[in-house]
Formats: sequence, structure tokens, C-alpha cells
Amino acid sequence: MAAEPVKRITDIGPPNFEKFLHPVIKKNYGLWKYHDNLAPGVLCHVAESGDKIFTVRAASPRLLSTTTIRQFADLAEKYCGGYLRFTSRNNVEFLLDNQANIEPLKKELLALGFPVGGTNNAISNIVHTQGWVHCHSSATDASGIVKSVMDALCDRFTHEDLPAKLRIALACCLNMCGAVHCSDIAILGVHRKPPKIKHDILPKVCEVPTLIASCPTGAIRPATVDGKQSVEVVEEQCMFCANCYTVCPAMPLNDPENDGISIWVGGKVSNARSAPKFSKLAIPFIPNEPPRWPGVVDAVVNIVEVYAKNAKKFERMGEWIERIGWPKFFELTGIPFTKYHIDDFRLAGTTYARSTHIRF
Amino acid sequence: MADEKVQTKLLDELEKGPWPSFVKEIKKARKVSPVCDDLLGQLELSYEEKVGHWKHGGIVGVMGYGGGVIGRYSDLPEKFPNVAHFHTMRINQPSGWFYTSNALRTLCDIWDRHGSGLTNMHGSTGDIVFLGTKTDELEPCFKELTEAGFDLGGSGSCMRTPSACVGKARCEWACYDTMKMCNDITHQYQDELHRPPFPYKFKFKFSGCPNDCVASIARADLSVIGTWKDDIQQNDAEVAAYAAKGLDVQDDVCGRCPTKCMKWDGKKLTINNRECVRCMHCINAMPKALAPGKERGATLLIGAKAPIVQGALLSSVLVPFVPADELMDTIKELISRVWDFWDEYGKNRERVGELIQRVGMGNFLDAIGLDPVPEMITAPRDNPYIYFKDEA
Amino acid sequence: MAVTTEQLAEEMYQMVKETMGKKNLKAGDLTKAMIAKYGEGEINKDDCKHAIRILMDSGRCVYSYFGGSFITLPHKEGSAPE
Repeated sequence: MAAEPVKRITDIGPPNFEKFLHPVIKKNYGLWKYHDNLAPGVLCHVAESGDKIFTVRAASPRLLSTTTIRQFADLAEKYCGGYLRFTSRNNVEFLLDNQANIEPLKKELLALGFPVGGTNNAISNIVHTQGWVHCHSSATDASGIVKSVMDALCDRFTHEDLPAKLRIALACCLNMCGAVHCSDIAILGVHRKPPKIKHDILPKVCEVPTLIASCPTGAIRPATVDGKQSVEVVEEQCMFCANCYTVCPAMPLNDPENDGISIWVGGKVSNARSAPKFSKLAIPFIPNEPPRWPGVVDAVVNIVEVYAKNAKKFERMGEWIERIGWPKFFELTGIPFTKYHIDDFRLAGTTYARSTHIRF
Repeated sequence: MADEKVQTKLLDELEKGPWPSFVKEIKKARKVSPVCDDLLGQLELSYEEKVGHWKHGGIVGVMGYGGGVIGRYSDLPEKFPNVAHFHTMRINQPSGWFYTSNALRTLCDIWDRHGSGLTNMHGSTGDIVFLGTKTDELEPCFKELTEAGFDLGGSGSCMRTPSACVGKARCEWACYDTMKMCNDITHQYQDELHRPPFPYKFKFKFSGCPNDCVASIARADLSVIGTWKDDIQQNDAEVAAYAAKGLDVQDDVCGRCPTKCMKWDGKKLTINNRECVRCMHCINAMPKALAPGKERGATLLIGAKAPIVQGALLSSVLVPFVPADELMDTIKELISRVWDFWDEYGKNRERVGELIQRVGMGNFLDAIGLDPVPEMITAPRDNPYIYFKDEA
Repeated sequence: MAVTTEQLAEEMYQMVKETMGKKNLKAGDLTKAMIAKYGEGEINKDDCKHAIRILMDSGRCVYSYFGGSFITLPHKEGSAPE
């Protein structure tokens, strides 16, 4: 590239949020008193001053065309002076100062195919990763599974009839670019075969010491293959994390028949009631079944329905399971318990039952 | 368009049903750019073969920056030439993900000129994600973005784009100004964001209260979670009103309190605030009646991460309470010591939480000059293997 | 300061050039090497940061990424070599 004569603008950081705030929000910034939940997907925040701001929350597939974003912009201009935001779970929120605009806005959103909901004790949108749409290391797709699962659970998004919040997240490999490890239900792509080493290109594209150091279990060793420096994998030690592939493209793990999905339950990030906790393994493996992923959809719907029927008010998935115990969870959901459910990685013993507290 | 009628038999199944469809979105973007046809073609093939068709990273970016662009290449460039390059640009979102319609239109216009017309609103870390462009478009797109007041976010071994909950903008529970803190930290560390200086990534996430709406405790190397020190603010008339409307204050509020620090006699709620752990449950259940106290600030926690490499970690307490008005200075002072230590001792791809696991929290605290306090642990050690030091 | 920032940048550039293909260097590796060479009293981390910035802004070096960010010489654009 030729040297640029013009001074490039760099390091300006994000625009200051203040210029994007609704005037009612700006005026009452830090002065909110309480909020009410007017309907699923509709919130009303009331300020000390008595001012009110209304929020209408709608679903989004996260992957949005500029065409749709402009539609959101049109709606924001029509009903809320152009002010809108997105949530940490990829919903879109319209911010209104006129209560009379709520119903017409909802109507237009529904007509465009964007359900309104996701508040309070509803299932909110599924946070997810890129999958086959855009990722090189995915063990499964992301958007297609989310679409299929949420089609089945859409009524749980538009109604607030669960015992508590329920947060679902999906990551298409163990890298987990999303907080799936602390979700009520986590859908996680997994590999089940060790890397197929491309010995011909490995010395050219990878730094061997870095590659060896990347393995959490020390399963990768230096080796000479056909007179060339390469590596070998001690397959019994491989737990298919794909960290080696992240540092070295000559170690692919993708395998159409052996890649698939695992389901994890009972995690949370909120400190409400019980401390934040990790999700735990419920189902070790479900094969990839595009395009509608029936195995995953059935598994998730089953867990949601069993939870909805059995948990007490305010009990998150993990809190419910802790009350009834894991044996009961497996019994109620009909999910088989296997040796894969018992931890054998570092500090595995912390999850062994070390008491005689057993529910019969 | 070379192949307007690209066959998407399997993907078409994902246009059905009540939930918004990403396939419809990709099809909508065909008007913007022919790359969407090849994207659909390649994705359909992935759906047939049950395997992804993107190649490993590669190295592209804008001049002078070490992050913000994720290189992406098709492994079938002859078959799908329009997605031979299909790079992602991460654009640093405004705090709290607030926009005006004009700002969104500006972003859309820029992206239509330089890319696929496809986005993620937003990526997992919080950035606006522009999904799919060619290498030649990166600099021109970046130029237009900066002229419009936007900048790239982070990728690689850098300070990743910080994110914050809605905070004081629309939440009565915000115990400090999360959006301002996020904005100020992001501007303070622009160099660390754009020019990767660290052993691995470093994330800040700012949540205004212990409900932690940005999953800070699960995902941030430095989690800043709002809390308060004094008593819960209580409005007895509103508590009674909740009870009158059918809330079972005894079972559903007092009964769910983790420390059982509250009592309900059928008329009045009594809270023993010294035993309260500030979990938010009672406040969540009765937002009109209860609110966090007035002496507000935040707890600083360190070290959360997803499993890669050594296993997932939640953040753990580093400083139990920092008053809101001292938060910025405290974070800046602490973070420079944390980064110095991590720079010196961290291995390649070792997150700060993993480094602490390796060297021990006690040694880490010594190194950054913090005194140990019992709020940092759930219990003292239960093994006798103590590394006593010579203390003359 | 015993050396100018430009000199530091030049030395870093030579280091990157010499280790190219053998070992990937991170910003921290270059910084540590320079401080070891000139002594902590002579140069500091900020000097090294500025030197790296000179290399990047001039296009003599670029950042690369393979599971971590490294500093390398510019190379032909493309995906991971195969």
C-alpha cells in the first residue's frame, strides 16, 4: 500500500452514548425510581420526577440485514423519536415516551415477523455464535439451531409463565464465544475425534513448540513423519477441545458424522438467591441434524417443559435441580445417565457425592 | 447476479416458523450484494455435508491496528468466488447499545457501500459486527467509519471491547454509572485495544447490580459489579401493596432469601441488613417496595473465562467494595499492576484467571500490592500444604 | 535514554526479521528483550510501546493472529498457508 498523505483518523473509540439517549432518559439519567412490567415485552420505568419511559422489546435473529435495521429505524422514527437500543441478548428495544404508541408499534413489529416478549419470566433470546455462517472452528451450526429451537419455544418468549427467568445460550465449539457455561440451558457443539494431522503442511504453517504447549493434557508430542518435523497425538489423552487447531491450521478436527451437540443445564450468572454457577452436563451427544435439528429441539423443549411443570416460583433451573437432586432430574426428564456425566478432568472430585445425603 | 436461483432447499426450511429467520435476512441482503448468493450457496452445502467451509483466520486488518478485523476465507473459492474473502469487521458499540435511527442508517449506508449488507447486532463481546467483506474494502470502510465517529473494536491478545449494562440510563438498580465507566475505560485504553500488547485477551464488563445483566462474572477478566453498603431502601406501604396483590411475602421473598435475614409478620417486613448478602432477590421480587441502599459502589472481581485452555472460571472477589466516586481511579491503578504482572509472567494464551490459578492467589495479591481479606474466599484452605515464607 | 525510540524500533525490526519462521514474537517478547538489553533504568515499557507503534504505522511490521497476536513482517495476503 502506498504511503497515505492524508492523516488517517485512528484511536477515536466509540461515539459517546449520550448523544444517542432519548430526551426522557437523558433528563432522568440516574434518577429512576422503579419499573413495572405492563405486558410480556413491555416495560415502564418511572423516574423520581414522575416521568415515564416505555420499552417494547422484540426478538431478532441477531444476524440482521441492513434492510431490516432500516426497518427498525423507520419504526423508531414513527413511534419513538428515533430512539432505540439492543439488549445483551440481541433483542431490539424501542424506547417510547407516549404510551399510546405501544400497541401500534407492537402490531407493526408482529406484522414484520418480530415477536414481542423476552421480559421477566419468559425465555429471552438465545445468545449464540457464528456457526457455519462464518466460523472456521465450529462443530455445528448456530443460527439454524437457534431458529429451530426458538420456533418451538416462541410461546415461551411471548408469555411470562415460567417459574423464573430461563436463559438459553449456544456455542458452536468449546471456544464458547458466548456465556454458555453459565446458562440455564447451554447448547454446545462438540468434536469427538482427535485432530487429523496434515503432516505435509504442518512445519510450514505452525510453530511446533507453541502447538505442543497448546494442549491442556499434554497429548501432543514432537514426531518425525516422512523425514519431516511434525507432531503426533496421544489419542487416549485427547478430549477434543480443539485448542491445537486454534493455534495451528494443520490440526483440523471437523468430522461430519462425529461432530455434534451436547446439552448443559443449571447455570446462572445472576447473584439472585444462589451464587452464580456453571452449567452441568445433561446430554453428552446429539448428532448434527440439519436443517431443523429435531434431536436438539426435542431435548431442549423437554427440559424446559419438565422444569416449567416442576419448579417452584422464583426457582431458576439450577436451583430447582439442587432442590430435587440430580437423580430426580434425570428421572423426570428421562435423560439417560452415563459415565460421561462424571467429571474426570482436573479437580474432578469436587463434583463427586461425598456424603450420604441421598433422596430415595 | 451470476446465479440468482441458487438452490437452498435445506435452508428454505429455516424460513418457516414464528421466530425471525436468519435465512430471510441473508436473502434480503441479496439486493445489497451478490456475495449473499455465494454465502447461501456455501451454507447450503454445509447443511448438506454437515461441516463448515471456512478456512482458518489468516491475517488481515487495517493499517496500524492489530485487531478489529477477523480474516475469513472460503475453502471452496472456485465454487463460491464472492465469498473467497469474507472478513468480519468489529465496530465498537456505543455504551449500553443505544442508538438513534440516524446513527443506524449511517452504519447501514457505510456497510452497503463496502460489504455484504449483513451484520450481527451484536457480537458476543458486544461489538457491532459487519459480516463479510473483501480485503480491499477494509481501509475505505474504516475511513468512512472513523469519519462518522465510529472506531474498530478489539480482537486478538488485546483489551477486548468493554461492554456495560443499561445502568443509570434506564435502571433504578444501577449502583454506579456503568455506561460512563465503560465509555471512559474504552477511551482510556485505546492503544491496548487496537495494538495487542498482552499474552492473551482481556475483557472488562460493567454490570450495575448483582443481577449482572452483561454476564460479567462469567466472562470478564475484570468484572465490575455494582453493589451497596448500607441498608436496603424500604417502603412499607408498597410491601403491603405487593402482599395485598397476592405476592406471598413469607414464602417467595423471605423464604428465598439466601441468608434468611428477613422476617414478615403479615404486616411489616423486617430486614437484618448486616446479614444481607445483597443478592437482589427481594428487590427483584418487589421493585416498587425495595431498592438498593444509598451508599453505592461496586465489587471488583477478577479472572472469569470460558473453558479454553485450562477450564472455565468464574471471577472471584478482588476488592469487596469501592465507592462509586473512587471507582475509575481504583480500576486504573489496579489494572496497571495486574497488566504489569501478567505481561511479566503470563504465558502465551494464558488468561489472567489461569495465571492466578498457576501462581496462587496469595502470590498474585503480593505482586499487585493488595492485602488478603476474608471476603475473597468462601472458606479458608482445607489442606495443610502451606508454602511458608522466611519472614525475618 | 541511551537509545532513541527509532533505534529501538530498528532493533525490534531486526529481531522480528531474524526469528521469522522460527519463533513468533509477541509485543511483550520484544519489550522484554529490549529492556533486558538496555536496562530498566535506561528504557521503559512506554518507550517500547512507541517503538512498536513506529513499526506498525510505517507498515514495516504487521500484527498476525494464530490463537494469539504476534508481530511479524508483512506477508502476502491470504488465508492460512496450505
